[in-house]
Amino acid sequence: MVSLIGYYTTQFGELWDRSLSDLIKEAIFGVLRNTGLEKSQIDAIFFGNMLAGILENNLHSPSKIAEIMGVNIPIFRAESACASGGVAFHLAKNYLEANSNKTVLVIGAEKMTDYSPEETTSALASAASGEEQEAGLTFPGLYAMMANYYLEKYDSTEEDLAYVSYKNHYHGSLNEKAQFRKIVSVEQVLKSPYVAYPLKVLDCCAASDGASAVILTNHNAVKKKSKYSVNVLASEVATDTISLKERKRLDEVLATKFAADKAFLNSKINRKKINVAEVHDCFSIAEVLALEDLGFWKKGEGGKKTKELSTIHGSNGDLIVNTSGGLKAAGHPVGATGIKQIGEIYLQLTVQATNRQVKNARYGLAHNVGGSGGTAVVTILGV
Amino acid sequence: MISPVKIWRRQKDIGKLLGKKGKIITWTMIYVAGSEFKKFAPYPVAVIQLEEGKKITAPIVDYEKGDLRIGSEVKVILRKVREGDKEDVLVYGVKLKPI
Repeated sequence: MVSLIGYYTTQFGELWDRSLSDLIKEAIFGVLRNTGLEKSQIDAIFFGNMLAGILENNLHSPSKIAEIMGVNIPIFRAESACASGGVAFHLAKNYLEANSNKTVLVIGAEKMTDYSPEETTSALASAASGEEQEAGLTFPGLYAMMANYYLEKYDSTEEDLAYVSYKNHYHGSLNEKAQFRKIVSVEQVLKSPYVAYPLKVLDCCAASDGASAVILTNHNAVKKKSKYSVNVLASEVATDTISLKERKRLDEVLATKFAADKAFLNSKINRKKINVAEVHDCFSIAEVLALEDLGFWKKGEGGKKTKELSTIHGSNGDLIVNTSGGLKAAGHPVGATGIKQIGEIYLQLTVQATNRQVKNARYGLAHNVGGSGGTAVVTILGV
Repeated sequence: MISPVKIWRRQKDIGKLLGKKGKIITWTMIYVAGSEFKKFAPYPVAVIQLEEGKKITAPIVDYEKGDLRIGSEVKVILRKVREGDKEDVLVYGVKLKPI
C-alpha cells in the first residue's frame, strides 16, 4: 500500500515577486521540512506543469528541478492541461507499485500572472482542439457551451450555478493559502460581467501562481516514522475526445465517470463513505457536473442540489465539497491544482485542516480535470 | 506568422462543408477572447449538427439576438477568420449564418 505522508503548498495568488523556480523551491523544501525527510531520502520526483513551455520558453524542467534541489535522481514531467498535477500523482503511485521501499515527491507548479489575460487565455486554449481554437473558443467558452446546454435541458438557472461560487468563496475565506479570501454573495455573482454566456466573472476561476507538493512512500521505515499518514486507496486516469462536439453527451464529462467507477471499484469504497471531496470547479457548472458524474448526485438534479448548499462546511450534509475554496477561491495555478486538491484531502483526513476541518472525515476523494474533459483523474484517500 | 502550409492543409476540407445546413446543439457568446480574437469580441460560437449527422464548431455571424437558440437553423459559409501581419496570408474558414 502506498502512503501519503506529507503536504506543503505555497500561497496561491498573484505572486509577482516569485518566479516558477522560486515557487518550486519553496514547495519542495516545505514538504521536506513538514515530513522531516532529507533530500537524500527522495528516490524520484514527478512534476506537473502545463504552461511554462508556451508562456516562458521554459522546458527541460526535470533538470531545472535537479539544480534547485541539488540531486541526481530521476525526475519526470507530466502534462495533461489542468490535470497535470493529478496525472503526475498517478504516475508517482504507479512508480511506487513497480518499485519497493521507495519514497517519491510529487510537485505541481504554475506561473500564470506574468502575462496579460489574452496571452494566458490563448496559452490555455492550446489544450483545446484545433477547430475549437480556430472558432475563437476559450476555456470559459467550452464550459459555457456545456452550461448553456445543461441549464436548458434540466431547467436550471444561472442562480443555481452562482451558489457554487458563493460556497467556495466562503470556504476560501477559511483557507489562509487561498487566492481569494473574500466572501461573495449570490447577487454579486449574478451581477458580475459575462466572460462567456451564461458564465460570468464570478463563475470562473482566476489565473494564479502557486506550487504544491506531497510525498508518497512504500518504504516501511519512512512510513513508520511519519507523524501524519493516509493510504492512497486509488488513483485512476481516464481520457475522452479533445473536441466537445465529438462527446457522446454535452451534459456530462464521461472521463470523470470512467475514472470514478474504476477508482471506487479498485478501492472497494462505497461512494456513501466519502466524507470530503475536492472537485474540479474551474467553472461553477463544472462542480455541478462533477458531483453528478462522480455518482454523488443524479444527472440533472445538480442545479437544485447546489442551491440547497448541503456540501458547505458547517452543514449537516454527509459530503462536504471543496473546503480549500476549490479552484474558484483557492486559485487555479493549473499544474499545482491536482496536488493541492489531494493535499487538502490529506489535511482533512489527518485532522490538520484547522478552522475548515470536517469532523470525523475518514475517506476523501480528489477529482482533477484536464481541458473541457479530455482527461480526468480521480484519487481516493483513506485513514 | 501564420503558416501557409497549415492553411493549405486545412482548406482541403473546407470546400466540402460550404452551403450545408444544420441545427445549433449549443452555443455561447465569448466576451473575453484570446489575443488573436480580441478585436472580434463579443462574438457567438456554436456546436451544430449538419443534416448529414456530422458536427462542427464555428462562430455565428450576421445574426440577430433571437437566432441564438438551441435548435435554430444555420448554414455553413466561408469567411475571413484571422489576419496576421501585413505580409501574412489571409485565413479563410468556416462560419455559420442563421437561415
